[in-house]
Amino acid sequence: MTLSIWRYSHLILAFASSIFLLLASVTGVILSIEPISNKLQPYRISNAEGLSLAETISAIDAQYEEVLSISQDKNGFVSATVIIDNQNESFYVNPETGEKLGDIIEKAPIYQFSTNLHRSLFLKTPGRLFIGLTSFLLFLIAISGIVLIAKRQGGITKFFSKIVRENYAQYNHVVYSRFVLIPIVIIAISGVYLSLLRFQIIEENQITHEIDFDNLQEDPTIDYTQFELFKNTPLSELREFEFPFSEFVEDYYLVRLKNKELLINQYTGDVISEKQYPFVTIISEWATVLHTGEGSILWSIVLGIGSMAIPFLMITGFIIFFKRPKTKIKNPYSKDKANFVILVGSESGTTLQYAEVLHNYLLSINEKSYLAVLDQYTTYKNMKHLVVMTATYGQGEAPSNAKKFKNLIHKHQQKAHFLYSVVGFGSTSYPNFCQFAYETNELLETLPQAKASFNEIFTVNDQSFESFNRWASLWGEKTNLELRLKKPTLYNTKKHTSSFVVLDKTEKASMVDSTFLLTLKNTNGAIADSGDLLSIVPSTEERERLYSIGKMERNVYTISVKRHDKGVCSTYLQGLEIGTNLTASIIENKDFHFPAKSKQTILIATGTGIGPFLGMIKNNVAKKGIHLYWGGRTEESFKLYKPIISSALENGSLTSFKPAYSRTQIEKTYVQNLIKKDAVYIAESLRKKGCVMICGSITMQKEVLKELQEICAKYLNKDLSFYQNRNQIKMDCY
Amino acid sequence: MKKSVNTFCLVSVFTLQILIGYSFVNYQPTVSYKCMIQMTNYTGEKAYVVVSLIDPDNNYVKTLYVQGDDEEWFPDLKDWWIFSNGSNEDIDGIAGATIGNGERNIISLGLDASQIDSGYKLRFESAVENQEYYPIDAEVPLNSETIKNKVEGKGYIRFIRMVPSK
Repeated sequence: MTLSIWRYSHLILAFASSIFLLLASVTGVILSIEPISNKLQPYRISNAEGLSLAETISAIDAQYEEVLSISQDKNGFVSATVIIDNQNESFYVNPETGEKLGDIIEKAPIYQFSTNLHRSLFLKTPGRLFIGLTSFLLFLIAISGIVLIAKRQGGITKFFSKIVRENYAQYNHVVYSRFVLIPIVIIAISGVYLSLLRFQIIEENQITHEIDFDNLQEDPTIDYTQFELFKNTPLSELREFEFPFSEFVEDYYLVRLKNKELLINQYTGDVISEKQYPFVTIISEWATVLHTGEGSILWSIVLGIGSMAIPFLMITGFIIFFKRPKTKIKNPYSKDKANFVILVGSESGTTLQYAEVLHNYLLSINEKSYLAVLDQYTTYKNMKHLVVMTATYGQGEAPSNAKKFKNLIHKHQQKAHFLYSVVGFGSTSYPNFCQFAYETNELLETLPQAKASFNEIFTVNDQSFESFNRWASLWGEKTNLELRLKKPTLYNTKKHTSSFVVLDKTEKASMVDSTFLLTLKNTNGAIADSGDLLSIVPSTEERERLYSIGKMERNVYTISVKRHDKGVCSTYLQGLEIGTNLTASIIENKDFHFPAKSKQTILIATGTGIGPFLGMIKNNVAKKGIHLYWGGRTEESFKLYKPIISSALENGSLTSFKPAYSRTQIEKTYVQNLIKKDAVYIAESLRKKGCVMICGSITMQKEVLKELQEICAKYLNKDLSFYQNRNQIKMDCY
Repeated sequence: MKKSVNTFCLVSVFTLQILIGYSFVNYQPTVSYKCMIQMTNYTGEKAYVVVSLIDPDNNYVKTLYVQGDDEEWFPDLKDWWIFSNGSNEDIDGIAGATIGNGERNIISLGLDASQIDSGYKLRFESAVENQEYYPIDAEVPLNSETIKNKVEGKGYIRFIRMVPSK
C-alpha cells in the first residue's frame, strides 16, 4: 500500500510532537486570554495619540520629583518610572496630565505558569529546544495538511469547496482545519522564529551609537519643550523615553520611536545620533505580536481559536488513522508468473481489503495471483485475467495510487491476450459515482489484447460486501472457479446472534407480487430499531442475506420480503410456519434510524423498501409529521400494507400517504413523479431541517436523488450534498 | 482586679517598645543616588543583576535592587541567593525587569547617611541563563569623593555610574 508521502509525513510528525503540541496548545489557549484582559484595562486615554512628545513629557515631568523614563506599550498604555521618596516606582500615567492611573499590570500566576510551561515545559533550555522543535513540526504538519486538503479537494482553487463526508472525524478534521490552518501556520512560523532568536541562530544586533563627545555643545541652551523633535513627534510614535542621567553634557535624552532610536543633546536639542532599527528587530517585533496577540483583541481571539483547534484536530486525526485499515500486500508469486493480476486503486484502503480477500482466496486454491496498486502497472507475462478494483476520489478523479495509470497503460503493452473485469467502489450518494472505474474500463477497452469478461461494469455501493460477492460469483463462473469469499473481519460489524420465533406471516394465497410480510419475535432480548438490518444465513453453505427491519412493538420485528423463484433465502423464509424458531443476527445500521430531532420526515420507498418505514410509523407516538411516498406495481400491491397504513393515518402517526403505481393501465406513475409534484413542499421541509429517508432499489434511489438534486438547486440554491452532509438525507438501498 | 491592671500596663509597655524598636529598624533612607547600569554587548539572554549593600567586613547587609522578574533563575546568583533566601528577605518591592545586552537601566538607590564614607560598598553581581555567573561584576565604594566616577564591570556590566538624586 503506497501511502502518499504527504499523508505519511503528516502523520509521523503528528505522532512525534503530539504530547508537546498538546501542552503548548492548551497553554496557548489560556495565554490568548491575557492580552485581551490587559487590553480591556482602562489605562488608555482616548485622543492622547494626538499629543506631542513635548506635551506628554512636560505634563509627567511636572507631576513628580524626578522622572527617569516614560514608555508606551502595545496597548497604548503610557507608564512612567519615577523616583518618589528615594524609591523607584513605575505605574501607568495619564499622558495629558501626568496623573497616576494605576499600578503596572502584574502577570497573574496562571499566566506566569502557562507561559513557563508554554515556553520551556519547566525544563529551562532543553524544554525550550523541545518547544522550538514542536513549533517547527507544527509548521510542517500544517503545510502537509494544506497539501492534503488541496489534493483531496482537487486543487488549491477548490480549497473551500464542499467536502465529501465519510464519517464524523474525517469530515470535521477537514472542515475545521481549512479555517484554522492559516492561523496555525502563523503561530508555528512565529514560534519557530522566536525560538531561533532565543538560540541565537538568528542574531538580533543592538544599535550602537557613535558619539563625538569632544564636540558636544552646551549653547544655545533651550528648554526641552522647544526641541524640534519633541514638538513634532506625536505620542503614538513613542516607545520609550529616557531623561538624561546627569547634568553633564555627555548625558543625553534617549528616545525610542517605532522604527528608530535617537540620542538628543540635553542642552541644545541637537540630534547626536539617529539609528534605524535593524530589519531583524522589526521582524522580531512582528513575530512577537503575531505569536502573543499582544495589543489586539481580535488577533488574540484568532490565536485562541487556533490553539483550541489543535487538540481537536489531533484527536480527529488519530481517529482517522486508527480507523483506516492497515494492510500489507503479500505476493508469493512474481508478477510475471501470475495468471491472475488484481490491480487496486484505493484512497483509504477499504477497496484494498476486498482485493486482498480475493487475492488470498485465489492463493488458497493454488491459483497464481498477483496483487498490486494501479500505479504499479507494468507488463505481466503470464496474465490471463486482470481484475481492476478501484475507488474514485474527490470529484471523480483517480485515487492517489492510480494517478499514473492512464499513462502507464499505454506505456506497458501486454504481449498476450487477457480477460479483464473492472469493479468500481463508491457511494451512490455522491455525484460521479464510480467515475474512475468507468474511465478505467474505457481505457482497457481500447487495448487490442484485452477482452472484457462482462459487458457491463460492476459497482459496489457503500462497501457492500454482498454486491462484491455477487460480482465474485459471476466472475468465478467465467473463470471456472468457485469463489467463496469471506467478509474481511474488520468490516464485520458486531453481530448478536439471537433466536426468533415466527409470530405471523402472510399466507401464500394473500401474497401480491410474490411479496410477503414476516413478523418475528425476539426471544432473548437483542435490541434493534427500525432501519437496522436482520442478517439471515439460510444454510451453512450460503452467504448472509440482509433485510431491513421494521420494529412494530418491543421485541417484535417485521420484514417485507419478495420471494424470488430461485431465491434460496426468500423461499426458506416463505416456508417458515408460524411458531417456528429461527436464528438470525441483528446488525446495527445507525445511519438509517428515524431522526429523533427533526420535526418532519419524508419517507420514500418502493416495494419491500417500505418494511423499515412500517416500524417507524408505528412508533411515531409523538405524532411528528411523517409523509410517506410509496411506489408499487398496482393498487393490488398495496393490500399487504393497507391495514397498517390505514390505521396509522387514522390515529395520526402518519400525516399523509401518496402511492404511485407503475403498472396501472390508466396512468403510470413512479415515486419520483410524486416527488417532482411536491417539490415546493419537500424543499420547504429540507429548509426546516426535515429529513428525507429513502429505501428501496438502487434504480429508484438514482431517480429520486435526481429529483431531489433539482429541488435543491431550484428552490434552495444549495447542492444536495449540503443536506447529505447534515444527515438530512438517509438512504438504505440495494 | 489589681492583677489585670498590671497586665494591661505590661502589654502597653511592650507594645510601645515594639513600636519604637520597629521605627528604628525600619529607618528610612536618607541619601538617594541615581544609578546607571550599562550592559556590554554580550550574547545571550537578558541578564539578572542584583545590587546589594556590603559592610566593611565584606558581608551582605541588604538587597537594594533586583533586576530580574522570574524567580526561577534567582538561585543562579549563588552568593546573593544564600544570603537573601537564607534571611527570608522580602524583595517584592525592589524587583525590576531584566535588560538585555547593550541596554542600560537607570535606578534609584536609597541609603542611610551613616553608610557613606564608612567602608560600605555596593556590589553588583550578575548572571545570564546558562552562562557564567559573576559574584562580583562591579563594586562601587560608598565614598562621597569617588562615587561619581565611572566604575567598569568585569562581566556583563560595562560600567556603573552613580549621581546623587535631585
